Amino acid sequence: MSESIESRELIELVSREGVLRGTCHMPSSKGPMPSIARDRLGVLFLNGLPATRAGHGDAAVYWAESLARLGYPAFRVDLPGYGDSCGDPPPEALSSINRGGYKSIVLALVRELVERFKLSGVVFVGHCAGAVTAIYTAASTRECRGLVLIDPYFYLPQQSDRSLRKRLIVWTMQSRFGRAASTLYRFLKMTRLRLNGLESFKNANLPLLARWKEAASSGMPILILKAAPRRNTDTPSQIHEFADIGYALELAGRKSHVAAKVIVGAHHSFANELARTAVQQNIEGWLEASFQQGMNAPAPALKKTGPACTTNPEVLLP
Amino acid sequence: MQAQIQSEAIPREKADYFRVPGAHLYTVSHRVPDPLARVLLIGPFASERHFSYHPWVRWARYLATRRIEVLRYDYRGVGESTGVFEEMSFKTWSEDVELLVDSLSSRLPLVLHGLELGAILAARAFSLGAGDALLLWSPPQDANQALRAILRRWAGLEQLFESVENRKSASEYIRLLEQGTSIEVQGYRWTSHLWRESFHFDLPPTDEAAAQQHRRPVKLVRFGRNQASGITPYLHRDEIKDIDWLYSSSFDWVSQVLAPSAGEVNERVN
Repeated sequence: MSESIESRELIELVSREGVLRGTCHMPSSKGPMPSIARDRLGVLFLNGLPATRAGHGDAAVYWAESLARLGYPAFRVDLPGYGDSCGDPPPEALSSINRGGYKSIVLALVRELVERFKLSGVVFVGHCAGAVTAIYTAASTRECRGLVLIDPYFYLPQQSDRSLRKRLIVWTMQSRFGRAASTLYRFLKMTRLRLNGLESFKNANLPLLARWKEAASSGMPILILKAAPRRNTDTPSQIHEFADIGYALELAGRKSHVAAKVIVGAHHSFANELARTAVQQNIEGWLEASFQQGMNAPAPALKKTGPACTTNPEVLLP
Repeated sequence: MQAQIQSEAIPREKADYFRVPGAHLYTVSHRVPDPLARVLLIGPFASERHFSYHPWVRWARYLATRRIEVLRYDYRGVGESTGVFEEMSFKTWSEDVELLVDSLSSRLPLVLHGLELGAILAARAFSLGAGDALLLWSPPQDANQALRAILRRWAGLEQLFESVENRKSASEYIRLLEQGTSIEVQGYRWTSHLWRESFHFDLPPTDEAAAQQHRRPVKLVRFGRNQASGITPYLHRDEIKDIDWLYSSSFDWVSQVLAPSAGEVNERVN
C-alpha cells in the first residue's frame, strides 16, 4: 500500500467539519514545462452533485492529469458529506450550496493548499453546483487567481411538484400543442428578462450574482464553458438558451476578463469524450493566455466568445 | 458480537494505492481497534459508482463503528484507481478481487460483500474459496444483465435531452456493440469485447444448496423498487437516503454468522 504513486498523491486536510480527502496531481519533471515556469499556480476542482472528486465519468481525473502534465499542480478534494470526506451532505444540499454553504470550507481548504504546497495562488474549476461554490469563494480570497465555470447557473431551483414537472416535460416533448406552448412560454420569459433584467425573476440567485459581479469586476480572468443545447437546436428559441449567463456577462462590466464558450456536443455532466477533450483544451489555452507571463503580470483581455444572449436553463425547462 | 457503537474508539479511515499488474487500485480501509471481522466491499459497475458512493461509504462507516474492519476500493480503470477503462475486462476486475483478498491477513473472518456487478465479482471469488461469508445486494444473473440495465437507464435519460434526429434507443446501442463498435456510456467507453464477455460472466449458484456445498454462509438481498432508491441512479439523487433498514439487517446477519464467541465461522445459512 502506498499514499502516492508516480503522478498522484493522496492528501488529507483537517477542517472544522472533520477530515477532507483528496488527490493531488503533481507536475512531472519529465513534462513539457517545468513546474517552476508556472509560478506554482495550483488548480482546485470543485465538483457538482452528486459526483465524487473524480467527477462524472472520471472527467475531473482526466483534466487534473492533463493540467499536471502542463506544469500546474492540480487538486481534487471531496467536500464534507461527499466522496471519502467526513460526514453527510447538508440537509437540502443544493439549497445550501446555492446560498454559499461551502464557502468557508473552501476558503480554509485554499489556505491549507497554498501553505502546504507553497502555491502562489489557485484557480478554481467548478462544475455546476461546484461553480456556484467557486463564485462565492472567489470573491472572498486573494488566493484565487482565476475561475473556470463549467455549466454554472445563477438561479435557484423552483420549488415545484416533481411529478407535475415530469408530466409537463413529457407533454411538451410529445405533443405539438405542448411544444408550441413551451416556445411561447420561453418567449414571454425572455421578453421579461430583456425588459427587466434577471433580478425580475423570483428564482434569480441575487447573492450569487452579487458575488459574481464582485469577482468579475476585479479583473480576475474567468472562463465560462457551457454545454450547447441538444434539443431543437435549429429553432430560433435556442438563442434564449442561456439567459442567465448572458446577463452575468453584462453584469461583469467593462473591466472584466471573462471568456465564455459554448461547447457543442457536450452533455451537462461534461463526462462524454468530446466534452472532456474540449474542456481540457479550453482550460489549457485559457491558462496559457491568462497566466503565461507569470502570476504578477496582468492577464490579457479575452473576448467574450459566447452567444450574445442566452437563457436561464430554469426558464428553458418546459 | 457487540453491536453497540464504539464512540470512544473512532474508526480511522486510510486511503492508499494498492499495486496490481499495470495499475494501482485506490483503496480505503476503515480501521478499528480490536476488530471482530473484516468486510471487503466490492462496489457496482463504473458508471454506477458515483450514484452509490455515499450510501456505500456510510455502510462502511456503519460497520466500522460496530468493530468490523472494512476495505473498499475502485475497480481498475475507474474512479481514483489508475488504468485505462476500455482496456479492462471482467477477468481483470476478478483478478483485482483475488489480489485484494490475498493481501488481507487470514487472522480475521472475512465477508465478501458485493453490490450489483460487484455481487458477481464477490460470488465468483467466493466460489473459488475466498472469504468466510458472502453478502450480496441486488445481484444480477450475469454481467450482461447489469450492463443492459445501466444502458436502458442511461439511454432513457439521454432521450429526454437529445434532439429527435440524434436520439438512440438502448436497443440501437446494443446493436452497435454487437456489430463490434464501442459506445460511450456516461463517460466510459464500452467495448464490444466487454459486451461479449458480459454474457459469460455469470453469478455462480448462491442458493441454500450452494451455500451448504461451500459450507460457508451466504445472504442475498434483492431490492424492491422503493428500497432500491437508496442506491439506484437518478432517483432523488440530491437527497440523503434512509437505508438504515438495509444496514441494520445486513449487519445483524454478519454479526450472527461471524460471531467470534462461536470460536469458528458459523455455518448458519440465511
